[in-house]
Amino acid sequence: MVVEFWGHEFKVNIVLGCIGGFLIAVVSSMFGFGGGPFMVPLMTVGLGLPMYVVVGSSLLAIFFNTLMGTMRHYQFGNFDMLFFLIMFPAAILGGFIAPQIAKRVSPLTVKRVAVAGLVLLALNLLGVY
Amino acid sequence: MKRFWVSVIIALSATVFMFYQNGAFAEKPGETKAPVAKEVKKPEAKTEQKQEIKLDMSAALTIQADKTSLDNGGTITVTGTAPAGKPVYLEVWAEKKVRASRFDADKDKETGKRPYILYMTYEMPAHYKIYIPKDKKEDLEKIKKEGKKWAYSKALKDLGADIAYSIPAKAKIDRYQATLMGSIIGSRGELLSPMDEKENKKRSMQLVKARFRSPGKVLAPTVEVNPDGTYKAQVTIPKGSAPGKYTVVAVVDKNVKSQPVTIENSISFPNVYLSNAGTSLNLFGPFFLTLGIVIFGVLMGAGGGFIMNPLLVSIWPLPHTIVAGTVMPTVLFSQASGIYNYSKIKFISWKLGVGIGLAMVVGGFIGPKLTEMITLEQFKFVFGWILLILAGLMFWQTTPGYIAKNKKEQAILKEFKKKAEESAKGKQG
Repeated sequence: MVVEFWGHEFKVNIVLGCIGGFLIAVVSSMFGFGGGPFMVPLMTVGLGLPMYVVVGSSLLAIFFNTLMGTMRHYQFGNFDMLFFLIMFPAAILGGFIAPQIAKRVSPLTVKRVAVAGLVLLALNLLGVY
Repeated sequence: MKRFWVSVIIALSATVFMFYQNGAFAEKPGETKAPVAKEVKKPEAKTEQKQEIKLDMSAALTIQADKTSLDNGGTITVTGTAPAGKPVYLEVWAEKKVRASRFDADKDKETGKRPYILYMTYEMPAHYKIYIPKDKKEDLEKIKKEGKKWAYSKALKDLGADIAYSIPAKAKIDRYQATLMGSIIGSRGELLSPMDEKENKKRSMQLVKARFRSPGKVLAPTVEVNPDGTYKAQVTIPKGSAPGKYTVVAVVDKNVKSQPVTIENSISFPNVYLSNAGTSLNLFGPFFLTLGIVIFGVLMGAGGGFIMNPLLVSIWPLPHTIVAGTVMPTVLFSQASGIYNYSKIKFISWKLGVGIGLAMVVGGFIGPKLTEMITLEQFKFVFGWILLILAGLMFWQTTPGYIAKNKKEQAILKEFKKKAEESAKGKQG
C-alpha cells in the first residue's frame, strides 16, 4: 500500500501492519491498556515509517481498538460507572498538568525512571519478590 | 538542576506506590495471616441493643450479636448456646450480590477431555465467610499452605464446614459451552441447560474460590466452643466491604441452624461502593493514583494503563475484568481529543490509520472476551511479561543510537508540524 503524506510517498507493508496491529489490539483490549508504546515501534521499526507520519496515524489506529474494546467490555458487564467517574476526572486533570511538568523534565530521565519502575512492578507481578 | 529534582520526586512517588502495593500483597494466598480481630468500639454502634432470638425447637441453639450496625466494617462479637459437645459454625454473608465467573479448562480426570465451560453467576454474595471452631486452626493453616492450588470444596469437607455452606449453593449459575470459533468471534458460547442442585452446589464452591481467591477470605477459625455448649466468636467485616445487610447464622448440623442475626454495614463519604466490582473504597485513593500515573504516563510517552491496571488489582480487591473494562474508556476521550488536534492540522494519514485500525477493531472485539476466561493470577503473570517487554522498549529508547536518530526525527517532525499548522491557519484566514 502506498501512503501519501505531506508531499512524500511511503510504501507500507500493510499485511505486516495489520497482523501486528491485530495482535496488539487483542492483548491491549484484553488487559485494558492503550497500546501506543507498542504501536509506535511497530510502525517506525516494523513498517519503516518516519516519526512524523506515525504520531497521528498510530493514535487513530489505537482509537479504533479502544472504542471497540470499550464497547465489548461494557457488553460483558466489565464496566463500573462509579469507578469510571472517579478515574475519569483524574485522567483529564492529569492531561492538563502533565504538559506543564513536561517542559521542566528531560524525557530521557523520565524514561530511565520508568524502566526501573516497570521492571520492579513486573517482577512483583511475576512473584519474584 | 531543577529537572533533576523533579525527576527525583517522580521516582520517589513511584517508589511509594510500589511499597504501598507490597503492603497490599501481604494478603495474597500462600502467606498465612489470620484475619486480625480487632475490638472496634464505635460510638455510633448501638452496642446495647442486643439481639437475642431463641429458635430451633429441637436443639437449643441461640445466637446473639453485640452490635446491629457497623460503619465501614468492624468486628462483632457473636455469642450463644448450642447443644453441648457439638462444633459450632457460623455462616456469614452479605445481602449485596456480585458477579463471579470461572472458565473450566481443566482436564477431566476420567475422560481426559477438557470441558471448556464458562460458569457464571450474578448472585455471589459480595462477602461470604464461614467461621469455624478455633481448634481447627491448624487444619486451616495446612490448607493455606497449599497455595494457589487449594480447593474450597475439599477445605469445607476437611474442616467439617460443609454443613454450614448454603447460600452460594443456591445461586443461579449459568454455564456456557465455549468453542474455539465462538471465542474468536467473541461469543460466550451456547447456554447449557441448568444444573441439578448437587452439581450447582459443587460449581458454586469453585466460583467462591474464583471470587474470593484465598482461604483466609472465606474461612476463619474464631469460634470458641465451651464444654457446656456456649460459644463465642469474633465476626470481622473487613474495611472495604459492601454496605447493606449482613446475616449471621449459627450451624451445628445440616438441619440445625439458628435464627439469622442481621447487621447493617454502612459506608459514608468519601467511601463509596462500586456495585459492579463488589468493593467499597475511599474514592480519593483511585483518584490520586490515576492523577499521578496519568501525569507520569504522559511524561514517559506511554499511556497510564500499563501501570494503572496492575496497581489497581494489587492495591484493592477489584476483579481484573472490572479494572480492564473501566480503565479502557478513560483513555478514550484523551485519544479522541488527540486525533481531533492532529486532524485540524491534517497531520493524520487516514488511509494508514484506518487500514491498521480495521485490523485493530477485530482484535478489540476478541480481547475483552478473553479477559473473563483467565484468572487473576494469570492476569498478573501475563501483565508481568508485558511490562518487561515495555521496559525493554523504553530502555532501547534511552540508548545513544536511538537518541541520535530520534533527535533527527523529532526535528523533522517539528518542521512538518509547523508547516501543517501554518497551512491550517492560512486556510482559516
